[in-house]
Amino acid sequence: MPPAKRGRRMVDQDGGGGGDRVGALPDEVLHHMLSFLPVRDAVQTCVLAHRWRDLWKSATGLRIGSDEEDTARVREIREFVDHLLLLRGCAPLDMCELKFWFDSDEDDEEEDEESKNDARRVNLWIRSAVASKVRNLVLNNICSGSFELDDLPLVSRHLTRLELFNLELTNRFCNFSSCPALEHVKIANSTVSCPRIISSSTGSLLRLIITRCSFVVGTSFRTKICVPSLVSLQLDSNSKTPLLESMPSLAEATVRVTAGCSDVCGNADSGYCGFEDCKYCYPIDDNRNCVLLNGLSEAKNLALTAECKTFIFKRDLQWCPTFSKLKTLLLNDHWCVAPDFHALSCILKHSPVLEKLTLHLFSKGPEHKVELNGSFGLMDRPTGISERLNIVEVKCKVVDENVSKVLKFLCACNIRKLTNCS
Amino acid sequence: MAAAAAEATIDGGGKMIILISADGKRFEVTEAVASQSQLISNMIEDDCTENGVRLPNVDGDILTMVVDYCNMHAGDAAADGDTTKASSTEELKKFDAELVQALENPVLFKLILAANFLNIKSLLDMTCQRVADMMSGKTPEQMRETFSIENDFTPEEEAAIRQENAWAFDD
Repeated sequence: MPPAKRGRRMVDQDGGGGGDRVGALPDEVLHHMLSFLPVRDAVQTCVLAHRWRDLWKSATGLRIGSDEEDTARVREIREFVDHLLLLRGCAPLDMCELKFWFDSDEDDEEEDEESKNDARRVNLWIRSAVASKVRNLVLNNICSGSFELDDLPLVSRHLTRLELFNLELTNRFCNFSSCPALEHVKIANSTVSCPRIISSSTGSLLRLIITRCSFVVGTSFRTKICVPSLVSLQLDSNSKTPLLESMPSLAEATVRVTAGCSDVCGNADSGYCGFEDCKYCYPIDDNRNCVLLNGLSEAKNLALTAECKTFIFKRDLQWCPTFSKLKTLLLNDHWCVAPDFHALSCILKHSPVLEKLTLHLFSKGPEHKVELNGSFGLMDRPTGISERLNIVEVKCKVVDENVSKVLKFLCACNIRKLTNCS
Repeated sequence: MAAAAAEATIDGGGKMIILISADGKRFEVTEAVASQSQLISNMIEDDCTENGVRLPNVDGDILTMVVDYCNMHAGDAAADGDTTKASSTEELKKFDAELVQALENPVLFKLILAANFLNIKSLLDMTCQRVADMMSGKTPEQMRETFSIENDFTPEEEAAIRQENAWAFDD
């Protein structure tokens, strides 16, 4: 019996079966293939045959908690993940996705202590992934409860992509200056308590997406986004709008100030009183500065919308920069306030090469019931609006009184031929 | 010769190169299509595709699939951020799904080997994903059955490995 066994084994190890068997694929391919499996399935391949015994240890990706049944509370997967990471060692990782369920009950002392242990463990796992030279890292707390990441900056020469969901980012975590290869960062549904989001000075960070996040940095301070290399920015501001520093390479930015924004003035019905001693309008450390517009002034394509009476844009317009490269601009009704349409006319006058203007009026889309297209009449152009503006789109639900006022304003700006094309 | 080739690139918007399979079948594709293979892309850069690119470990029937895939996905990488391409995203997904779903395992593995050799990342990912999907959620016994993997462990050996990795087995 033993000799026969050995014989069979050898056949298998050479990939017997004429290359038509999964075990005949080269190690590197199987390491890659295993990275697509939920990690528990990947580890269990160790009992398939000799060929498979240690392959999982070099899998190039880890999907921890990715199948729903497996998405367990940290306490329930703690043993498993500890074993996994210790036994696989530091084999290089292309991708690590860590989904876990973390909630804490601070009222229960014993429970609270355990939660702290869980939190320490998860932070340790993250460091283990980083030590394995992970390139794509996804951290997702399935439970919307808060999970606080260690107040330590990430340090990695290999990390290129980072995605964070349902987490609490404190202080130094958003200092990415020690991640020179980082290109893409997405932060969603998280609390950001960091004074600054900083990229490395070598300028690799190209895309930043911050969505449904709360920024919490004291009453008189805003988070600053200091990423001069950025090419693409998507930001929706849910609490205190972060301050954007200069981004000379910016190609496109979408900034949405949502109804949850706390930059609303309680002293004036319009949402902005503008008095320098107003505790709402001036909680900005550098009083004479734009929050958003300066940082966006080099963009080629911009979408700026607000869904509340925020003062952010109005205040910024006092120091409105020139958008010297801006080709396309999308605004919503927040910008179109009768009778003087100050905001709309101000930004148009500061966009000398604008080619296309889109207005979403009282209709969020993506489908709009009414779409009007117009163009700029060249004959008697009013002063100050881009001569290249040749497409104007107005999208709304119905042409009511409010929309008509905007259309009249556009006509006054010599934008003609607004025809219904829906 | 090199000058003529350079001219052709400018005129035709894409110089053609010939890929030759192990069994001698010839495929004429544009450089843009072939460049999705990192291997060929490097060869183009090094200017050594003049007399055709011989691929001694890729059969004609597999290369047909690879060329179809690359033709379908040409412009994918180049059109990054180009919204006019977005309309065909659905079509591409459908094409990809049909391509891998229909394959018998031995053909799928040959396609994986070809994608790995030619270094076409998206095709390698897609085909590896297909294998992983067939394994996912299965017990080791079911995995062996799906892929006709012969269990070459003695019962004692298997028991020992299960014990060693008990942390991954007791759910």
